[in-house]
Amino acid sequence: MTETGTSSSPTGAGAVAMDADVIVIGAGPAGMSAATELGAAGFRVIALDMNPSPGGQIYRAVELNLGDQRADPVLARALGRAYAAGWPLVARFRNQEGIDYRPDTTVWELRTDGTVGWQRAARGGYLRARHIVLANGAMERPMPFPGWTLPGVMTAGAVQTLIKSSRLKPTGRVVLAGTGPLLFLLADQLLKLGVKPALIARTDRFGDKMKALARLRPAALPAIAKGAGWMLNLRKAGIRTVTGVARLEAVGDDRVREVVVETGDETTRLPCDTLIVHDGIIPSIDLAQGAGLAVEWRAGDASWCPVTEQSGLASPSRGANLSAGASRIWITGDARQIGGADAAAAHGRLVGQTLAARLEAAETEALTAGPARIYARAMAPRAFIDAAFPQGQTSGDLADSTIVCRCEEITAGTIRSKARQGATDPDQLRGLLRCGMGPCQGRSCASTIGRLLSEEFDLKRPPRPFRGRPPVRPVPLCILATLESLDPELVSSEALNDKPDASGGIDSDV
Amino acid sequence: MTSLMRQAGSTPMFERRQDVIIIGGGLQGCAIALFLARAGRSVGVIERTVAGRHASGVNAGGLRLLLRDHREYPIAVRAMEIWSGLEEFVGRAGAKASEVRLRTSQIAIAMDSNEMSWAEDRARDMGRRGILNERLLDGREVRRLLPGISSRVLGGLISEPDGHANPANAARAFRMAAAAAGAHIEEGCRVQGLERTGSGLWRVETDRGTAEAEIVINCAGAWGAGVARLVDETLSLEAMALSMMVTSRVEHFVTPVVIGIDRPLSFKQSAAGSLVIGGGIAGKPCLDEATSFTIMDRMVSSAAATIDAFPCLSDVPVLRTWTGLEGVTPDGIPYIGPSVRHPGLWHVFGFCGHGFQLSPAVGEIVATSILSGERDARLLPFSVDRFKAGQPVRGGGDDAAA
Repeated sequence: MTETGTSSSPTGAGAVAMDADVIVIGAGPAGMSAATELGAAGFRVIALDMNPSPGGQIYRAVELNLGDQRADPVLARALGRAYAAGWPLVARFRNQEGIDYRPDTTVWELRTDGTVGWQRAARGGYLRARHIVLANGAMERPMPFPGWTLPGVMTAGAVQTLIKSSRLKPTGRVVLAGTGPLLFLLADQLLKLGVKPALIARTDRFGDKMKALARLRPAALPAIAKGAGWMLNLRKAGIRTVTGVARLEAVGDDRVREVVVETGDETTRLPCDTLIVHDGIIPSIDLAQGAGLAVEWRAGDASWCPVTEQSGLASPSRGANLSAGASRIWITGDARQIGGADAAAAHGRLVGQTLAARLEAAETEALTAGPARIYARAMAPRAFIDAAFPQGQTSGDLADSTIVCRCEEITAGTIRSKARQGATDPDQLRGLLRCGMGPCQGRSCASTIGRLLSEEFDLKRPPRPFRGRPPVRPVPLCILATLESLDPELVSSEALNDKPDASGGIDSDV
Repeated sequence: MTSLMRQAGSTPMFERRQDVIIIGGGLQGCAIALFLARAGRSVGVIERTVAGRHASGVNAGGLRLLLRDHREYPIAVRAMEIWSGLEEFVGRAGAKASEVRLRTSQIAIAMDSNEMSWAEDRARDMGRRGILNERLLDGREVRRLLPGISSRVLGGLISEPDGHANPANAARAFRMAAAAAGAHIEEGCRVQGLERTGSGLWRVETDRGTAEAEIVINCAGAWGAGVARLVDETLSLEAMALSMMVTSRVEHFVTPVVIGIDRPLSFKQSAAGSLVIGGGIAGKPCLDEATSFTIMDRMVSSAAATIDAFPCLSDVPVLRTWTGLEGVTPDGIPYIGPSVRHPGLWHVFGFCGHGFQLSPAVGEIVATSILSGERDARLLPFSVDRFKAGQPVRGGGDDAAA
């Protein structure tokens, strides 16, 4: 089962050696579970992880924080059972034979034929496998409001990263703003770490919960009880909460000094040292889009998701693509559809088992019934959560002066005015304004631009996000210049002959 | 010559017959349209997607005389005059948006003795032809003009009048100016048939209706050979997806555009500070779907050539890549001239990745030739039947460069 195979290159001509049976991108709950299943079935797996140790965002640094004498009991208690659940997953992943784990590795390109562009420290190149499991997780929805780029304004995810990997916690006057379960989880964790937020300013409303009740399923009750527990703790601790926030502003010169919160009838101004914001999470679709995979809009949580089967198998978008042939990409976890850690682990197992069966040319149904059932149960609360904490509407109407593209400092007003002049899709706006051309490659403005265009033209769903091209993450010239394992067929093919004869010839403006 | 859309084709696209219909709304099509419309001719431009969407809008915007094929020289010199007085042609707003920067120089660098002796030959040859803007530089001069360049540089060629512009905005400026002069520009409209009617008019069939004109000009760029095929005319053309990469912003350090001689090197520093790196890198063209893909495997040699010449750029990250579709002829210069099979049809395409600078002058010269009925002598080297007479493929009678 570990023989190297070959694949045809995008030009369909050459044959390139395989590095593994499966490459797994991401080592969060979904990626680790898929890799563990595949390793256990005897397949050769390469697991590429951007982080220094397995766990993903949710179980970040779990070995360090819970694993040995260095463990910090206060931190362990604050992070709770949900975090500790990552420990056995990581241990199984670490101990599973057949997995070549490569930490600190950034993936900057994915092709549907099973080619992966990677970088680790000063090296980079391509790896190839018969199948790819894309488990690159989710990102926080960018949450623009006046002052959001001031130092001292952070996202909830960033604060959690600092807690887990650096054991840092915010000090001074802390305000939380936005919506979604992570906001309450973080508030609860902060309390346990001895940080009492001065205010939780929620963009969701009481009415949202009433509407959400219609979507409540019995299987969702445990998750909802967990959320209710966090809320009860916050109330017991006497933390002030407002709901229905219509406008949020961070005020300060060199850093945030004050936060302004407007609800329908009331404006609150509060001194603030750290403003922590969160507006839900959205799948990371950059690699999938760069690979030419199809994406679709999910109104429930206002996000673009890759088009996949239940098994995770992704579909190429219609029309031309770099690689010909069927997709070899399987997408799992929050990268496929937001569902949280338990759903991600279950779906990762499902993908691992399905893929193992596919590689063995065996029947799949019996194998995946278990993870499928767990996955369905883990997804049960999502409809309720989506309705109870509607995302993507933070701070109501975005003021014209608000920066939307942080890299190029382009405001909502500039984008609106170009849209009114006829730039109705994100790619046109990017060409005109440079929004999305910076180091983040549009990750931090794409969803906001979609929202602005939807509002401007009263669309049911936003226009398709920016077209993705490699590299989806920055690659230094010196690494690009020495990339390993290039596709010989691709390299050898034509380039523009741009040397004129000394007495005339051709040349290029390109 | 027949259309699947003949029923839909019964709707007239324009209110009346046009004097000229231009197929392709790139910079070239819009430039010809501008000069014809200014002369009072009725002009319709039919564009498949959005004017300037492909090679016109996504090239590197080089305004270059340096290393031009000598046959292009007279046109390129006229083009520089138009670029430097652009306001007269596209108005103040269009000229401002086009961000024309001339006299910032372009420099071809010689990193080894082969390249240096080639540069010396070239300088001698240009001198013999009386083309004097290209000047030989020694290593010391190159190092003074290009801070950060490798100490191994032996010299190079400089063309001081050269510079660059913003290609997307310039394409838009010509489009707006053509429309303001009275040209009708129809975007999102695909040509499906082309035929000469009994009365000697051209009938253009599209998915949005039909149009009639006395003269048709094929400015369809990478699709130019396909348009020629509609009237059973075969013009050899390869579609290429020329690609570029863009780095993060770095402190301003270089003003001239830098190009390689034997190396896949071409870069300039944008006003924003990012480096735009090209050098004839080919992506994957998909003509039928009107799209193209960048291929990172082929960016490697350009990245290596860049840091070989400028070691200080080693750690600068590449943020993104892009590509656009262009048509390349067998001898590296465009087709500009009347069809040899059909009266009233001109072909103006296949600019091989260096048409941006030439386009306004080609527009003016083609328009003048059509209006006067007499082909301008500067266009003669570009005639569409130049391969038929058994001439060598490369210019100047020398062997083709490798």
